[in-house]
Amino acid sequence: MGIYAQDHNNTTASAAVKLKKLSIEELMDVEVMSVSKRPEKLAEVASAIQVITGEDIRRSGATSIPEALRLASNLQVAQVNASQWAISARGFNNVLANKLLVMIDGRTVYTPMYAGVFWDVQNIMLEDVERIEVVSGPGGTLWGANAVNGIINIVTKNAQDTQGLLAEAGVGTELRGYGALRYGGKLSKNVYYRLYTMAYKKGSTATLEGDDANDEWTMAQSGFQLDWEGEKDQLKVQGNLYDDRPNPDGVSDIRASGQNALARWTHSFSNGSDFKIQIYYDHTWRDFRNGFAQRLKTYDVDAYHHFRLGKRQEITWGFGYRLMADRFRNLDLLRFEPGERNLHVYNIFIQDKINIVPERLDLTIGAKLEHNSYTKWQFQPSSRLAFSLTKSQTLWAAVSRAVRNPSRIDTDFLLNAAPGVPFLQGNKDFKSEEVLAYELGWRMQYETSFTLSLATFYNIYDNLRTAEPGPPPLNLPITISNGVEGNTYGVEFMGSYQPLAWWQLRGGYTFLKKELTIKPDSRDLNGGRVESNDPEHQFLIQSMMDLPGKTELGFVVRHIKELPEPRVAGYWGLDVRLAWRPNDMLEFNVVGQNILDEEHLEFIPASPTPRNMQRGIYGKIVCRF
Amino acid sequence: MRLAKEYCWKGLTTGANVVAIFLLLFLSTALTPPQKKIAAAEHEVKAVYLFNFAQFVVWPSDVFESPASPIVIGILGKDPFGSYIEETVKDEIINGHSLVIQRYGSAKEIKNCHILFIHASLTPRLDNILNELKGKDILTVSDAKDFTKQGGMVRFINERSKIKLEINLNTVKTTGITISSKLLRLSEIVE
Repeated sequence: MGIYAQDHNNTTASAAVKLKKLSIEELMDVEVMSVSKRPEKLAEVASAIQVITGEDIRRSGATSIPEALRLASNLQVAQVNASQWAISARGFNNVLANKLLVMIDGRTVYTPMYAGVFWDVQNIMLEDVERIEVVSGPGGTLWGANAVNGIINIVTKNAQDTQGLLAEAGVGTELRGYGALRYGGKLSKNVYYRLYTMAYKKGSTATLEGDDANDEWTMAQSGFQLDWEGEKDQLKVQGNLYDDRPNPDGVSDIRASGQNALARWTHSFSNGSDFKIQIYYDHTWRDFRNGFAQRLKTYDVDAYHHFRLGKRQEITWGFGYRLMADRFRNLDLLRFEPGERNLHVYNIFIQDKINIVPERLDLTIGAKLEHNSYTKWQFQPSSRLAFSLTKSQTLWAAVSRAVRNPSRIDTDFLLNAAPGVPFLQGNKDFKSEEVLAYELGWRMQYETSFTLSLATFYNIYDNLRTAEPGPPPLNLPITISNGVEGNTYGVEFMGSYQPLAWWQLRGGYTFLKKELTIKPDSRDLNGGRVESNDPEHQFLIQSMMDLPGKTELGFVVRHIKELPEPRVAGYWGLDVRLAWRPNDMLEFNVVGQNILDEEHLEFIPASPTPRNMQRGIYGKIVCRF
Repeated sequence: MRLAKEYCWKGLTTGANVVAIFLLLFLSTALTPPQKKIAAAEHEVKAVYLFNFAQFVVWPSDVFESPASPIVIGILGKDPFGSYIEETVKDEIINGHSLVIQRYGSAKEIKNCHILFIHASLTPRLDNILNELKGKDILTVSDAKDFTKQGGMVRFINERSKIKLEINLNTVKTTGITISSKLLRLSEIVE
């Protein structure tokens, strides 16, 4: 669907003057920047977007998508155990966090079980990542349901850009083993493909007593991508299959596997309009190995059309349909009723970007009308105003409404104390959780070497999830309901700066405050606090250097303030990567992760038992032919 | 079996440590600040090249309506330069000619043009495009892979993150254009 940021760099007159002064010999010696391939027109986007490039990831030493997401300072990312993560934007973080929309190459990775993401099965070769766009704030209008607090859009490279053979292997103390092989070739003129296979084993974390938590995790995945680029048409076909063995509770490993395939056709018309249609199929199987298992088949089709209307307007409209067919293998005590369900989601959306004052003021208004199997029609409008203060500075403001639709756990869940004696139950009348978000931001971009942005928000939530006690004397069964309302506000500050051609810095700071209250008719057992555990302050800085002798030095420092309830102490994290690239073919890496302390706790989940994350060191060799 | 695994594991970690120590040693001896390089985005460098061509190429005088007519830099297909190229040529005068940028949807639209950048995405139609331009005194430039082989004049080559030039002199000679020897000396000449 709509991708706001596009490649290219923003330009200014002074940069042109600088290059023009060079002689033709000097011009031939200019390094084409690879470090700072910042997406273009970020300065014009009226939302809080942060882009992590493939290069940022490579230079950070991240070994998985969640680790790469730590590089976005507008996300809350906490590792829970070897294979589980809690990731959210603008708060409400939890292992079952449900207010974020996550896409990999346009495929929504979403489980209707709890409206969240099983992070352990979201893998790609990080070498293939072109960029990750992280939008904090609602995006329900263009992007669809679940984009309540943010969107993560992972975009992989075109097959054309991954030609040749790449082999990499790594070994270390936490990343116990990693290997990947990729081959990219050309089938005919303009038709490129790549094939890849990868596997890794992540070592155990530690129990709070300091023992081995026995939660080792192994994963293997293979896939392909085919890209055809015609003059006006582009076709992308990709497929992946994986086998995943996480073991979050350290007792019996979960067996997860899946296959997915996607095809997308884009056509550009000569008048500047374009059209896109995408279909995908995603099958996942997850056997918890205690008898309980879930199968999910997702079928999705999306279409999108973008065109200019007159000189001042740009219209984007489209529709989408998704069928999620799930089936549970229930236990006597833990069940989803019905055990099998087909969930349909369909939507139509339209957005108009109106240029009110040329090169000065843009107004974008849009709305999405979406129908889901639980709460029927939902309306998600938004309006955004972008005002160019100067050529390099933009002030923006937005008001939007977004919803988090119910999931199986909200409506169909049943936990029995004994067979036939319900302890906790879902609520068929569970409503969609709602947010009304007010945002105000400022962004500046000076040449390509210096960017700053500030985003502030005030969100008003209603119908957030609660657990209501049953009738006395036992107060059972506990029933899921919509008893919490409240507001959150915060500030996200981000920047990037390239002081020297060989040194780049990026980073950010996020402040977040929540005020949640129980509605008069609610008796939430958790006092409205169980759904989220977020730091009030967090801070990140990433440094990337090219040193003499073909070496690269990078570090990522992050500071996460304490989580209030249950309390988790604040911590500092430091990852360091040192790499030597003697030639274009070889790359030797040594990476230290979390090197400041022996171990630390990042999150306390309701289940399983909390684990400490340990310091890790690994070495990795990459060969490109 | 388990023992063998552990040994293997120990060997590998020791190996990794050795690499680390080696790198640290290497680094401490070589830690002098590198020469300041100029870095720019690819489209910026290419835009400045196009501007430079105006200075290194001589056209027959009859391609200009008057001595004060502008030199036209055309862009055919996708435009990678954005406003950067306009800023590059703004207020510049070369041999009495100012410079203007033109964008074309198809080769048929090209009438009065002196330097033409053809986007690589037009590769499939390149033969037709170059046919259309045949006999005209237009310096054709592209980053398409086989551009000079197919009858284009100047190709941008990405060489270890620098942008170099490849020129097909035979093609240039079929027109009234002459390229300065300085530019030819710095470029790779192909037949």
